[in-house]
Amino acid sequence: MKKIMCTLMTVFSVALLASCNKGGGGSSDEFAPSMDADTHCSIRIVGDYDNFPELMNRFKEFNAYYPNVQLNYQKISGNYKEMIATVLEGNDKPNIFFSSTWMLEDEAYASIVNHMEDLSDSSLKINLSCIRQGLIKSVNNLMVPLFGRSYGMLVNNDLFEKEGLEVPTTWNELLSVCSAFREKGYTSPLMGYSKKEDNCGLMTTIAYPAAIASIANSPDAIELANKPDSRAGEYMRAAFNAVDQLKKNNCFNLTECDSIDDNYNLVIMRFFEGDVPMMVCADDTPSGTRKREERSQAFIDHPFSYSYNPIPLTDKGGYFIDTPSKLLSVNKYCENLDMTNEFMRFLVTNKALNAMAYEKNLLSSTKEISFESIYAPFGDVTPEYTYSPEGLGITGTVKAQIRKLAFKVATGAMTVDEAVAAYGE
Amino acid sequence: MKKIWIVIVNILIMASMVAFVFVYSNIENKRTINRQIDHFQSGTVTMEQVTENYLEGEQRICDVWANYINSEDMTIQEATSFIHISHVLSYASAHLIYKDTLTGLSTRESIIHPGDYNVSYSSIGLFGDMSWIDSNIGESINISHAYTNPINGEQSIAFCNFITLSDSGNPRDAILLRVLPVSELMRKWVFHKEFEKAELSIIDMNGDYIIQGYSYENSNFFEFYRTYNSTSPASYQELIKTITTSETAGTFMMNNSNRESCILSYTPFGAGGGWIFLSMMPEKYLNVNTENWLLIGVVSGGLVALFIFDLIVMLYFNKRLQISAEEADVANRAKTKFLSTMSHDIRTPMNAIIGLTTISEKNIDDKKSVKENLHKIELASNHLLTLINDILDISKVESGKLNLVPQTFSLVEMVENLMNISQPMIKEKNIDFNFRVSKVEKEYLYADVLRLNQIYINILSNAVKYTEPGGKVSVDLIEENSQKPNCVRLTYIVSDTGIGMTPEFMANMYQAFSRQTDSRVNSIQGTGLGLAITKQMVDLMEGTIDCQSEPGKGTTFKVVLDIPVAEKQLEEMKFDKPIDVLIADDDEVLLNTAVDTMNSLGLNVDIARSGEEALKKSKNRHNEGKDYQIVIVDLKMPDIDGIETIKRIHKEIDSNTPALLISAYDYSDVEKSAKDAGASGFLSKPLFRSTLYNKINEILGTDTKVIEQENDNSDLQGINILVTEDNDINWEIISTLLEMYGITSERAENGRVCLDKMKEVEKDKYLLIFMDIQMPEMNGLDATRAIRKLDDPYASNIPIIAMTSDAFSENVAECLNAGMNGHIAKPIDIKLVLKEIRRVKEESKK
Repeated sequence: MKKIMCTLMTVFSVALLASCNKGGGGSSDEFAPSMDADTHCSIRIVGDYDNFPELMNRFKEFNAYYPNVQLNYQKISGNYKEMIATVLEGNDKPNIFFSSTWMLEDEAYASIVNHMEDLSDSSLKINLSCIRQGLIKSVNNLMVPLFGRSYGMLVNNDLFEKEGLEVPTTWNELLSVCSAFREKGYTSPLMGYSKKEDNCGLMTTIAYPAAIASIANSPDAIELANKPDSRAGEYMRAAFNAVDQLKKNNCFNLTECDSIDDNYNLVIMRFFEGDVPMMVCADDTPSGTRKREERSQAFIDHPFSYSYNPIPLTDKGGYFIDTPSKLLSVNKYCENLDMTNEFMRFLVTNKALNAMAYEKNLLSSTKEISFESIYAPFGDVTPEYTYSPEGLGITGTVKAQIRKLAFKVATGAMTVDEAVAAYGE
Repeated sequence: MKKIWIVIVNILIMASMVAFVFVYSNIENKRTINRQIDHFQSGTVTMEQVTENYLEGEQRICDVWANYINSEDMTIQEATSFIHISHVLSYASAHLIYKDTLTGLSTRESIIHPGDYNVSYSSIGLFGDMSWIDSNIGESINISHAYTNPINGEQSIAFCNFITLSDSGNPRDAILLRVLPVSELMRKWVFHKEFEKAELSIIDMNGDYIIQGYSYENSNFFEFYRTYNSTSPASYQELIKTITTSETAGTFMMNNSNRESCILSYTPFGAGGGWIFLSMMPEKYLNVNTENWLLIGVVSGGLVALFIFDLIVMLYFNKRLQISAEEADVANRAKTKFLSTMSHDIRTPMNAIIGLTTISEKNIDDKKSVKENLHKIELASNHLLTLINDILDISKVESGKLNLVPQTFSLVEMVENLMNISQPMIKEKNIDFNFRVSKVEKEYLYADVLRLNQIYINILSNAVKYTEPGGKVSVDLIEENSQKPNCVRLTYIVSDTGIGMTPEFMANMYQAFSRQTDSRVNSIQGTGLGLAITKQMVDLMEGTIDCQSEPGKGTTFKVVLDIPVAEKQLEEMKFDKPIDVLIADDDEVLLNTAVDTMNSLGLNVDIARSGEEALKKSKNRHNEGKDYQIVIVDLKMPDIDGIETIKRIHKEIDSNTPALLISAYDYSDVEKSAKDAGASGFLSKPLFRSTLYNKINEILGTDTKVIEQENDNSDLQGINILVTEDNDINWEIISTLLEMYGITSERAENGRVCLDKMKEVEKDKYLLIFMDIQMPEMNGLDATRAIRKLDDPYASNIPIIAMTSDAFSENVAECLNAGMNGHIAKPIDIKLVLKEIRRVKEESKK
């Protein structure tokens, strides 16, 4: 009897696994070419990345279907915001270009938005449904987020282990750990870019998740925050308090932080020096770590394990602010629009987007997100602590307000109360 | 050498050759690649020079503008207006920007704000460091990195010069940019067709792209190199140093972003300060002679095919050699066995001859003993002769040298000869013998009669030989129509009641020296070659031979041959008026065939199956007054024999009725009693049509003619023969034998003597010449040819009969071709000699 039961269990398990494989294999959105494979044309993609090898790898995959389509990525010189409109109107019109959510919010960029093709057009058959709803909802289907990103901190796990400390998972633990590190001679247990106000600087990265959490469940608060209305300032108190508390507890030392001159490359290189327990950073900064490991002699000499963790701003941990990163739009006035859309059909699949995220060392924008590599700690964040600002309708104005006021709180230019009061000014 | 070593050596040789071709091809490929790389590098240098010339030209335009603006104290508007007028190229533009603000005017309006000529380079990043612009106009080429033109969004390069503008009456430092789309420069980059896949870039000393080709990734070439190529920091730095400090062109291999091996050529770019001109192309596009792989494939395949072919051939020949060796071994053993058999078979009769001769010498006075011994010596000699003939025949058959010599012959004569040869033993063993012919219409046929005789004799003599005394042997010769044109089908069937053969023996009975192992057989003389020769000859004549046999019951051989009919045939044989004939025989088959034959001759035939019935029928016809005109009676019949029947017919019915005695036996013993009984003549079985026709004609013409005396040699008296024979003993034998029959002879010692004698011969001196063949001075063939050419008609036409030991059929043919008229083989059979003499005599009468 026991034997029969075992056999039945085995058969059941195998059947279950097989069905799982069928359901989750991701082959359902497999790209199927729909154009003449012999088509000769070129597709030009422009952006502000110096280079974009992850996208180029997709070019090569696409060329397997269309060997005579020349795909090319080019960086636009100068200020991308200022140049892209000219480039779109120029003689050499790009087929696809980097876009941003703020372009939708600012009339000054109307001409750019005017170039954007509606990717939800059913005739295009672009599988936008593979992307997380929170990331795509706010962009009116004019943009496709290639990646997701969040706000957190790089943690030197080996350093914690070396000092006999646990990586903090609650607000109090964070304060305690900072205190412990400080006692051990670490003048700035938390570090980050603080030289200027920055979307992803130390202060914004700490305050913004808290601010989002404060208004996320209140449409009225969101509406006030978006305006921005000074009445929303009170919602932001927790965010400013967090910055203030960390400052007052000497968790970060601004003098130390100001030695970091840029908010990407040098942030990573400083972290790789190995003496920074926690480096606060956001956007796609974590993605740059892998490539820079071999460029840092300090890291080469003394490699260590690290991860990207949510900043534990509450007693129950930190937030996962699920935000789109690196959005693409199709220039509907370009040449070879059909092939351009064919490429987008190829690109907007679980397979292609996940592959890009993996290679770029960023979070995927698809629903099949997997918290691999250094993002593993974000996999532990519960849904109640996960927010998608764009999905909630929170505009860039909120971030701009937080960025400005949190910076002032951190630098001592404002108190928390003053910052709360100054919201919307 | 063992087979495996041969295979290993072959494989090693093949592997060496393939390896050589491979190495050689590789070397050749590398040379070709190196040549291509050199060529590619040269192309890169050429392209750099083309680019440099182009850029220098553009820079000079910028220089001219700058010099003019500086010399005229222009405001920015005036300078812009001046350049705008000077523009020729539609794609070119000029930007004039102040050094301090990096803003100014463009000669072309903004593409997004028509009518707006303002331009700003503040965020472009070209002028953070301006040291790359030479203050001295015309001294160098000042080209910017490729950048996005803020006026029209195109990727562009700018040729720059510092200028001084007038701003509100004050001089103000500014920069003049002559802006050209990168695409225009790239349009100049046209490589030779074989390198059309090459892509070019220009980098600065830091590796940053001035102009970036499509396949060059990252924003920095060295970064690009490090991303896709495994390299140690030291070699990476070495590479950077080599590229950035080299004063001459160079080439190295690197992977591109597709991980393809590429050739990268670099050369210092003379136009830019410390810039490097790069050219990259995947190695796979090099025009390398890939046929070498085909060569290797073909050589390898060819060698393997050759090896396999050789192996198969070697194995095949080995097998053949093995078979040959086995056959040689078998042949050797057969030879040994043959020699042993021959030694035994020759020594046995020789022993008898020598022994009996010695006995006879000792008892020379005992005539009876000597006669007896001589008879035995004769038997032994005949056996020895048969043995020698058979050995020679089988030797010729097996060597494939036996050729048929067809000639016209009489079937009747051949059968008579057959009968004559077999009669002594039939008689000796008292065998019940029958020989029947059926439907023989064509008596003259065209075939090698000697070989045909040999076939028939061998089969018949075997039947007689292996049949116990008192047994029965019957022969049937049937002539039928053949499917072959102009042929008749002769079926020769010999049945006996002899000892028979076992199936095991029958399986190999046609092999030489095969004799059945049987105590009865061992007592019978035989060479074991007869059937082998017979089979070979039947095959040679394209006939068939079948045998059915059962031990203890007897054997039946059947030979079927298609033999051409000779042109010569007897005239129409038919009696003008019907003749009543009675034929009496106890052999039903013979009666049937005889009736057919006689009916075809126009005879009225009546048959009797015994002597008594013959008497009864004769009486009845006599009483009716219609006596038979001829009575033909078989010698041996069960009730009363033939002689008695004739005797009683003549005595009791009519003494004048002609009677013929027929027999399959030698009738010499009964000749006298038959004559006394009133027999008019003898007819030998089988009854041929012509024999019957001639005999009846003869009987009816001379009723009282008595039986010819077969032993009467008086017809030979007075004949003179020239015998050409070099051997004294042979001469003595032939001359003595001839003399015994009253024939005189003269000797010529060789062909020359014979010829001389014939030159001077008197007419009719000799009846014929017996001519030996192998003789000194002149052989028999040459002598014959010479005699045939003599003028004297008698001499030139004299019958010449070969008498030689050259006994093969081709020897016979050779003799006849030389002009001879016949052939007698040594050792001579005097009966044949006499027969030949009589034949010549008869022909000479005609």
